[in-house]
Amino acid sequence: MIHPSQSRPWLEQLLQALAHQSGQSSPQDLRPLNCWPEPGSEAWRFTDLGCLTQLDPSRLHTQTAAPHWPGAPRGLGHLRLQLDGHGKWVGPHGESPSWPHGLRPVDPIGLLPGQVARTVTASGKLPLGARLNGLTTGPALALQVKGPDPVHLELAIGVEQTQAWLAPHLLLVLEPGAHLSLTLHTAVRAQAAVVPMVEAQLGPGAHLEEALLSSGCQGATFLFNSFIDQSPQSVYRRTSVSWGWGLGREEPFVRQSGGEAKTHLQGLAVARGQSLLDTHSTVCFDGPGGQLEQRHQALADDQAHSIFNGCVVVPRVAQQTDASQLSRNLLMSTRARIDTKPQLEIVADDVRCTHGATISCLQDDELFYLQSRGIGRDQASRLLQRGFCEEILQHLPNFALGWPPLQTLLNVPE
Amino acid sequence: MTSTETISTETTSPCEAPIQTGDLLLSIEDLHAGVGESEILRGVSLQIRAGEIHALMGRNGSGKSTLSKVIAGHPAYTVTAGTIHYRGQNLLELSPEERACSGVFLGFQYPVEIPGVSNLEFLRVSCNARRQHQGQEELDTFTFEDHVRDTMAIVQMDPAFLERSVNEGFSGGEKKRNEILQMALLEPLVAILDETDSGLDIDALRIVANGVKRLARPTTATLLITHYQRLLDAITPDFVHVMAEGRILRTGNKDLAMALEQRGYDWIDETDETDEGETPQP
Repeated sequence: MIHPSQSRPWLEQLLQALAHQSGQSSPQDLRPLNCWPEPGSEAWRFTDLGCLTQLDPSRLHTQTAAPHWPGAPRGLGHLRLQLDGHGKWVGPHGESPSWPHGLRPVDPIGLLPGQVARTVTASGKLPLGARLNGLTTGPALALQVKGPDPVHLELAIGVEQTQAWLAPHLLLVLEPGAHLSLTLHTAVRAQAAVVPMVEAQLGPGAHLEEALLSSGCQGATFLFNSFIDQSPQSVYRRTSVSWGWGLGREEPFVRQSGGEAKTHLQGLAVARGQSLLDTHSTVCFDGPGGQLEQRHQALADDQAHSIFNGCVVVPRVAQQTDASQLSRNLLMSTRARIDTKPQLEIVADDVRCTHGATISCLQDDELFYLQSRGIGRDQASRLLQRGFCEEILQHLPNFALGWPPLQTLLNVPE
Repeated sequence: MTSTETISTETTSPCEAPIQTGDLLLSIEDLHAGVGESEILRGVSLQIRAGEIHALMGRNGSGKSTLSKVIAGHPAYTVTAGTIHYRGQNLLELSPEERACSGVFLGFQYPVEIPGVSNLEFLRVSCNARRQHQGQEELDTFTFEDHVRDTMAIVQMDPAFLERSVNEGFSGGEKKRNEILQMALLEPLVAILDETDSGLDIDALRIVANGVKRLARPTTATLLITHYQRLLDAITPDFVHVMAEGRILRTGNKDLAMALEQRGYDWIDETDETDEGETPQP
């Protein structure tokens, strides 16, 4: 584990580099130094930031690669954008976006970057990833979604050059009753860092469906923070699939501001090689009658490490909350490691909250059943691993399933 | 049934040779097996020939299911003595998948649920494994889907079950139909059906029994493990065996099963081996 004192010079170099990128002579904001994990920090207890600090701040750039879009766009109400080398979102051919009906960019002047995040976390101190995101200059993609017709937005980030540093910021305002389906593809094939941040406000009755597919490689870092503020009767459905990263950490933070909303969180982390995949989720209920259904599945093979920490906060005001949280883990190697911590903080006394965690190897009975049908043990093992992944992948929209890197995930190595 | 001679005195047929009715398919000699230090099978001997249907009965815990799993190669069981030959080949040397590919099928008493693995994919992979072993061309996705949909008619199974995960959320009857569907697709030479009738209502039992009868051939054999006469009313066995304490105590014809239904297993303990329905053990 890298010690904060060791990382301080690196962080100072990073701040200098980012200040230089933005045309400043010196970094204006050194506060990120204060949010670097302290020794013994529970939130970073198992997560080594060594992969991130191996980047050379003096060589950072924002070059991106053209993503491999799956199939053709789906027509009206469907927009594809990719991140260019200047931090802007453009169409697949570099063109300016042609906004579909119901979706339009807004000037986020009334909503400052980090404002939703601070509301959702009820704290002035944002997580490390969000702070690093905030240091990077570049326009936030601020969008307003209006009207009852579903809008599909696909975003893609591709990186193929080492030392890339990308920190896109997405701000979504869903008006009452609006319906947005958002897919974010991230594929990194070099030693680089992607530090996205999403802030979303869901008005009453709004629906936000997120599919987050992130594929990395050894040496690549992914720190993804999202902050979701849900009004009553809104629905937030998140399906996240992550694999390949040297360090991948996702921190979704959801607040049901008035209760009576629905939150569905589905997560899959496939850690092989020396990958470290970490999910720290928080869901807070600020009113009665809220619902949460959360399922996180992780597979750890070789010398990989999977971490899950899921916090559900149910204060006294959140009576009749119905929340369930399940962490299922598949341990494929004696040298792999899984740490999981489902966590319920309940004060309200009239609620139904369940949580559970399992860590297991492949079941002998399942293997034997497949073998008894003529399927070799290795192939049976691969089939079961795929099956384990499919339990989460089945929640992805069909067009997301065609994303080429996802096929590499499903081709379980022999 | 042709004789009581053992595998060692009969000309063994190579696995590739065409099978004739009456050929010895499975020969078990003085089989001892168990889990860890616990011995469950204590000297089982049984011979099954092409064209025969055998029924294996006995109290709970008598070793019926253990015998079926040992034949299929379940790794939890250790064979400490005895032999199992399948078409002249030492079955105990083969992995479970090799046994299945060569034509030994076990229909599970409790079919395993496998979340996330579609039934169609599972059936296609297993069917192609068997075909590959037989030197046949593998079926592509579309050809197989047509094939499996046709085959599902045997057990009157809804094609919607193809899209679902293997056995997940299936009722007891649906799971058993799925087992018979697998049997139909794999076309085994020796099918062992472990309490396929348990948990079935009258209609489901009839459908499953009809499926088993339709799949029986003069060149294949079936071993039915059951507690109840009702399955044997639908499928008339050539031989009925009664197991107790890890051994086959009694072998007879269908009358033996009827006698058991009327008198219970205590009757076996109280009678000598010359009672009704008794025939030499195959």
